[in-house]
Amino acid sequence: MHSQNVGKLDFGKKLTKHIDNGKVSAVLSFLVKDRECVHVRTGHPGKKISSKEGGAMKVSRFCLVFLTVLVALCVVTLISSDTFAQAKKVRKVVVATDATWPPMEMVDASKKIVGFDIDFMNAVAKEAGFQVEYRNTAWDGIFGGLEAKKYDAIISSVTITEERQKKYDFSEPYVNVGQILVIPKAAKNVKALADLKGKKVGAQIGTTGAFEIKKVQGVELKTYDEIGLAFEDMAAGRIDGVVCDEPTAAHFALQRAEYKAKFSIAGQPFTEESYGVVVQKGDKELVDLLNKGIRAAKAKKIDEQLKKKWLR
Amino acid sequence: MAPLRRKPKTIAGQEPLTIEVGDGAAIPRRKDVGMFTAWRVAFFGAIAMVLYLIFFTPDPYRNIIAFVPDGIWVTFKVTVGAILLALVIGLFAGLGRLATNRVINGIASLYVEVIRGIPLLVQLFYIYYALGRIVNIPAITSAIIAMAVCYGAYMGEIFRAGIQSIPKGQMEAARSLGMNKTQAMVHVILPQAVTVILPPIGNEFVALLKDSSLVSILAVADLLRRGREFASESFTYFETYTMVALVYLIMTLFFSKLISIMEERIRAGK
Repeated sequence: MHSQNVGKLDFGKKLTKHIDNGKVSAVLSFLVKDRECVHVRTGHPGKKISSKEGGAMKVSRFCLVFLTVLVALCVVTLISSDTFAQAKKVRKVVVATDATWPPMEMVDASKKIVGFDIDFMNAVAKEAGFQVEYRNTAWDGIFGGLEAKKYDAIISSVTITEERQKKYDFSEPYVNVGQILVIPKAAKNVKALADLKGKKVGAQIGTTGAFEIKKVQGVELKTYDEIGLAFEDMAAGRIDGVVCDEPTAAHFALQRAEYKAKFSIAGQPFTEESYGVVVQKGDKELVDLLNKGIRAAKAKKIDEQLKKKWLR
Repeated sequence: MAPLRRKPKTIAGQEPLTIEVGDGAAIPRRKDVGMFTAWRVAFFGAIAMVLYLIFFTPDPYRNIIAFVPDGIWVTFKVTVGAILLALVIGLFAGLGRLATNRVINGIASLYVEVIRGIPLLVQLFYIYYALGRIVNIPAITSAIIAMAVCYGAYMGEIFRAGIQSIPKGQMEAARSLGMNKTQAMVHVILPQAVTVILPPIGNEFVALLKDSSLVSILAVADLLRRGREFASESFTYFETYTMVALVYLIMTLFFSKLISIMEERIRAGK
């Protein structure tokens, strides 16, 4: 009991001294360093602390202080961000996109997600009055994430198909595209998929391009996680064609310096498809909001301007 | 004459502590009663579950199981191909690590260090696309080469440890009989080392079987990729991955058992 009192007294004296000097940080380090203080605070009045034990306690005390500061910081950040969001009172829509599909959605040199879809979605959000937050999500599983409510919508060059409409809801179509075949320049007499019987043709997994290849008897489908990997595999000579959306095909086959000399586009787009924004089944509120924005953006011809900017 | 040097003192009667933590499934032995039961429950449970799902919820489970068999075959091909190639690479890496020739030793050690320091997924991408730039070989072959190069490094360490575990006297005896180093290695050391290294190689096989799922990123149509293709078209993610997981589980458990039987045979033959 006696030693505790003495300790407390010492503690108080030292503490005030440090505060008087205006060194708050010194107080912190004092808490950690002063073994007498540790001894008192741990509440073992009669027990002597060996230097080893004291060392361990020093560490744990330091950890404690560190953690407290960390938690305090977190709480402050949380509160401030919360009040910030409340003050705005604008609906925030989290939108997933697979930014590996240039020029519709891709990551630029400064790690920002850019592209036709992104610009268009920003315009829609502005017209309809909501905030957008983008989540770069791998295509394989992008629908699963929507089902798991990880985000509210997908804008990622998603073609509106019957099968997808069974599981998810779509906004109105916002742009029309078609599937097209890209082949190595050296390939001769290839005008359509049917000319590639017995050969391997690549596409991104779960895209309409992959579905189209599957429809053609005798052509072997190879699926890739990203369309860029398919083009790289064609450059390596492992596959004889790649099918994807026409804007993306144009980007890889006509604009990329490393592929320009190697690839050419075979024929014309052979499907007619429309992109739509995907939302969870039954999310009528968001569909209405999106449609309102899409109509307004189209009325202002924003889609036409963006086509000039991104698609040529 | 210098006085006889005493061996450094070791703590008497105490074996050095080792713990064995395998990467593969816990391989049951006859004495591990608990493990054996766990294996049975998992193996027959998984089979029962697959059958149950196929018969009572044919849509989508029967469709999934009808879609993936060629994927299972590819997984098997990649695993067996990679392990065989890795054995060859590993043998040379292991011998190289033990070589007294500085250059050979340096190359082997460098190979092991570099490969073990790079994640398998990164290596797969690297070797697959790097090979693609140089030579035109099919996807599955590149995948096998990539897996083998990676596992060869680990295999090399197993070989090295296995060879080192054979008492020095064996080599000395063989040499004193007039064999050269290579002969001694081939006829005396390696045959003895095989029984030591077979069990860890079995473990590696099971680990490789599981890691082979990584080749699905290389557009090799293995079990996982076939599953993903099915899921991406039917949007039945949960159901598909349940099935894929069960099929992998059945495969790993089956091979684990096979390996444990082999191990027991080796022990009995000793």
